[in-house]
Amino acid sequence: MIFNEVYSSYYRVTAEILREAARGKLTERKLYAMVREQAFGESVLTLPEDLRSGRWHLLNRDFATPLREVPDPPLTILEKRWLRTLLADPRIRLFSPDITGLEDAEPLFLPEDIVYYDRYADGDNFEDPGYIANFRTVLEAIRNGVNLEVSYESRHHETGTLFVTPFYLEYSEKDDRFRLVGSGHKRRLTLNMAQIRSCRILTDRNPAPFRESVRKSVTFELQDRRNALERVLLHFSHLEKETRRTDDINYVVTLKYDQEDETEILIRILSFGPFIRVTEPESFIELIRERLRKQMALSNAWREVAEQSGNKGEKQGS
Amino acid sequence: MAYSELIKDFGRIRSYLRSFYVYGFQHRDDFTRKSARSYDNERRRIESWLGGYLAFRQDENGRRMFFSVDSRQVPRNPLYRAFKTKSFTGWDIALHFYFLEILKRSEPLSAAAITDRLSEMLAGLPGDEEPDESTVRKKLKEYAGLGLVVQKKRGRETVYELAGGSPNPENWREALAFFSEVLPLGVIGSFIQDRLEEPCDVFRFKHHYILNALDSEVIFWILRAIREKRLISFVTTDGHEIEVLPFKLYVGTQTGRQYVLAETRKRGRLFFQRADFIEKIAVGDFYQESPDLEQRLEYFQERSWGVTGSNTEQPERIEMIIEAGPAEFFVVQRLLREKRSGKVEQIDDCHWRFSAEVWDPMELLPWLRSFIGRITDIRCTRDWVVTRFYRDFADLSRMYGVRRYDF
Repeated sequence: MIFNEVYSSYYRVTAEILREAARGKLTERKLYAMVREQAFGESVLTLPEDLRSGRWHLLNRDFATPLREVPDPPLTILEKRWLRTLLADPRIRLFSPDITGLEDAEPLFLPEDIVYYDRYADGDNFEDPGYIANFRTVLEAIRNGVNLEVSYESRHHETGTLFVTPFYLEYSEKDDRFRLVGSGHKRRLTLNMAQIRSCRILTDRNPAPFRESVRKSVTFELQDRRNALERVLLHFSHLEKETRRTDDINYVVTLKYDQEDETEILIRILSFGPFIRVTEPESFIELIRERLRKQMALSNAWREVAEQSGNKGEKQGS
Repeated sequence: MAYSELIKDFGRIRSYLRSFYVYGFQHRDDFTRKSARSYDNERRRIESWLGGYLAFRQDENGRRMFFSVDSRQVPRNPLYRAFKTKSFTGWDIALHFYFLEILKRSEPLSAAAITDRLSEMLAGLPGDEEPDESTVRKKLKEYAGLGLVVQKKRGRETVYELAGGSPNPENWREALAFFSEVLPLGVIGSFIQDRLEEPCDVFRFKHHYILNALDSEVIFWILRAIREKRLISFVTTDGHEIEVLPFKLYVGTQTGRQYVLAETRKRGRLFFQRADFIEKIAVGDFYQESPDLEQRLEYFQERSWGVTGSNTEQPERIEMIIEAGPAEFFVVQRLLREKRSGKVEQIDDCHWRFSAEVWDPMELLPWLRSFIGRITDIRCTRDWVVTRFYRDFADLSRMYGVRRYDF
């Protein structure tokens, strides 16, 4: 149903090529360039020849086609139904799409059919008119590459004014929140959309250059017990990572993450307990030790079990 | 058969893509137990489709290929490309473009009239091959099913016209860019985005499990069956066949997994089935909803921390007390926003209790561990859950050389 050739890259590239041919402007060089730019890595080995050889009955050796205009195909039922599905999602209010043409389309599913079972409960209020207005202003600023003046409420409930060059809006599926990522006051800024009290577009300032986030990495050893390999690798699969197998059940994984997410990565690594042993950097290991020491101090119940399982460490210096 | 960049069936490539994306440590030998040629072909295809997102390493066991992409840094899911690789015949693609042009320029036409027009147009090309009327009719019927053409009756004659009234994708640019990444079946949005003049790059996505895209076909049938209240039967990767009533799609935003909450037809047992473990799926008959279904589902879901457990077991009680001083309300906020069920109560100025009744308290262990450094007590009606927590903690402490009196 979804896997159908009408959605294929080959059909899309061929449409572009045929348009050029219909205008009488297709050349061999252009044909190959279009395939290289718009199709897959190896498409250039077959697609141009399939077209020119007449196997597809669309083009002759002189790059002429019987087609005169090559119209875009209408949306398929599946595409219309998917668009119709968006209209039931509260986040569609952030946008204002033209719904003409979808009157008869049935949604593929409704929000009530899906349960995001581990999503955080304090996501943004996408139906708040103030939020929607700010969102649209930010979107306009990104679209047009202009700056924003933002009235922003900090975590400590203090409101201040920031001048921001917006780069993009980042949405977290786990947090169900949007964050505005940009640059301002000579640094990279990440602002929660929900904490923007108001904003307006500025046209009298030059946009600041894009600033990359600071990247860090952590390496850990992983033993494949209780299906830990699959759980850990899938859990961290959205990050840039490299995994090496050292023997039948042991692996070494290196993750790269943004510095601002260090606490989150620490918590996530801790959640896997003894299945993961961080080996570097030392600074990250120290963050783990710090939490373990705090826990030792807090918990009384651990002692009995720790003794049973062999952790008979003595107080240092005693 | 000669190698082709395009494929007929998505099933096999789905498992290869998954291996390269999730694991990425395997070498050629790990894949070639069945067929070395099959591995070489699939690897070559993936390299052709997704070259820019792949990395390679050479080590003592050979060369290995893996995905090296932080999904936070890309505005569009690269794995959607895999759905744009379906193979086709010469006449499939030819008829596609001729239908669009012929029907765009005329009133509704019969299959015979379309065949005649086609014949005229093909006269300008070398060779004398032409599709017969039945081939044209078959393709028109297929296109009517896809919604690209509309089939009508004109007197006794069946005629076809191009479907009209499509929304203009340009009016949906930003909505498409966003929902294609965050909604199930986002790959369909990606197909629509392919029609845009320029891609829209205003969004990025954090905690974005792009791998879920590979299960789109399975998810499509699950959601369709849920909406239409129909049975589904599926075969899992380990060969189990089962027929169930599907009720909800459960999506993990922290695990990269998707599940269907379903009920077995024979025993009425509610359970979760992982979507990526479903190899084949078919939608069956309509089912009659039992009058108490809503009530039973509500009871079951309230006690589901995640995606394990079943209504054939008794729920267990689990609680955790954490320390958070008056200036550390952010820790309490973590409890409040991250708990999926149960309640949070303040015990005194510095202590808070989380408690819940769940089918499988073991499922909470990873979350409880994330509060290490704050926990003053954990209790559970299943003692071994508490024992496991402290044993794991002891192992963890030993692992990092933190001893019992080091604090």
